[in-house]
Amino acid sequence: MTIVSSDARSTPLQRSKRYTVDDAIAAQEFFHARGWTDGLPVVPPTEEAVQACLDWVLMPAGQLVGIEPVRQRAITAEKLAVNAVMAGCLPMHFPVVVAAFTAMLREPFLLHGATASTGGCAVLIVVNGPVRHELGMSGTFNALGSSDRATSVIGRAIRLILCNLLDARPGEVDRSTLGHPGKFSYCVAEDEEHTAWLPLAGERGVPPLVSAVTVMAAGAPRQFMNEWTTQPEQILDTAVAEIKANMRNYSIWPGNYAIVLPPQLRAHFEHANWSKADIRRYVFENALVHRRDWAECGKGSVVGERGDREYAAFETPEDVLVIAAGGPAGGFGAVIPPWYGNKSRAVTLAIGACVDCKA
Amino acid sequence: MTLEILDPTHESDARVFLPAKRLASLEGKTVAIVSNGKKGTQPFFAAFERELTGRYGVARVVRLTKSNYSAPVEAELLNDAERWHALVAGVGD
Repeated sequence: MTIVSSDARSTPLQRSKRYTVDDAIAAQEFFHARGWTDGLPVVPPTEEAVQACLDWVLMPAGQLVGIEPVRQRAITAEKLAVNAVMAGCLPMHFPVVVAAFTAMLREPFLLHGATASTGGCAVLIVVNGPVRHELGMSGTFNALGSSDRATSVIGRAIRLILCNLLDARPGEVDRSTLGHPGKFSYCVAEDEEHTAWLPLAGERGVPPLVSAVTVMAAGAPRQFMNEWTTQPEQILDTAVAEIKANMRNYSIWPGNYAIVLPPQLRAHFEHANWSKADIRRYVFENALVHRRDWAECGKGSVVGERGDREYAAFETPEDVLVIAAGGPAGGFGAVIPPWYGNKSRAVTLAIGACVDCKA
Repeated sequence: MTLEILDPTHESDARVFLPAKRLASLEGKTVAIVSNGKKGTQPFFAAFERELTGRYGVARVVRLTKSNYSAPVEAELLNDAERWHALVAGVGD
């Protein structure tokens, strides 16, 4: 394999170092050998492919997308684009990647902590709005798996960006004890078409018909099933049981939990005229555990004298993120827990639009 | 046909963080310890403090604890930093 490197940062659009390799296969080994991938093959980030992404978002290569606050790292559009191409993104996917990473740079997200922690979370990206159609995103079958190309590559792009721009590789900045499979890609498009509910972004202040992303430092999905009732309260009691189990077994601290509800379960809520706000309120009021509950799961040594102390999963009903997604059949929902309580907050951001700018 | 590919990594800030100037001796110095706040740091830093004062002659140890162990230290905790000769930032689990 012939590898030639050249530092070509002298021209405005050539800020990244260039390497010449024999072919696309050689490019794989070149990237793998340097620890620049997630272990899967990557699309070689040629200048043409990277430039096409930049053109799509009308950003020059050196445009500052943001600064990582702990290590003060400047994140440029070109570097995001290189990693997006590697992940398999087409230019039309790139605006979502830029928006998601911009949201992650917002202070409440606590990017460094979330990506460095032994707690091992991944970045859940929820996509709302018309961009889902433009990109062929699916919020139905296998919604939390590899449901479609766009969600797969966008989620993967975020992981590669963390690895390559913030050194969040396993054993480097990423100190996860276990991590979880969502670290490969953790992106879901909400199924806005098969529900009368407000989209998640709409509940969080984004106007209708504006595309948006919501990012959340998230644990792995905890799937639940309840096909034995039509009562909203009972369905949510199953979800609440998962939240309580997470509080007892993982972290007792309050934070954002996402609840993913598929059509079969949503039908019961909609038949009973329950909105997302109703769901949030019920879950907020019922997701409570006592410190003494720890004794039931091997943590009796830390109960101490405060066994009667009550802990809530949420500080406000707004901390519950209700997402409509999933295939048409099956009473399977999911609770997606926060990385570590309220240390990190979910952030919602419009894609390619400013919805709170002053005119 | 050869391919020209772009470097995906952050390339430019190796010079931003440099090691602090080393002290020739700890004798008579003031050393601050910033804990991330996890329970496991308490016995560790207690032992560390004993080593600093007992073995190395450190005159004074200032113990500080971050309020959020996943976030950077609060600026106000470092208000007195100019009066310290050294600072140790440690994590524990």
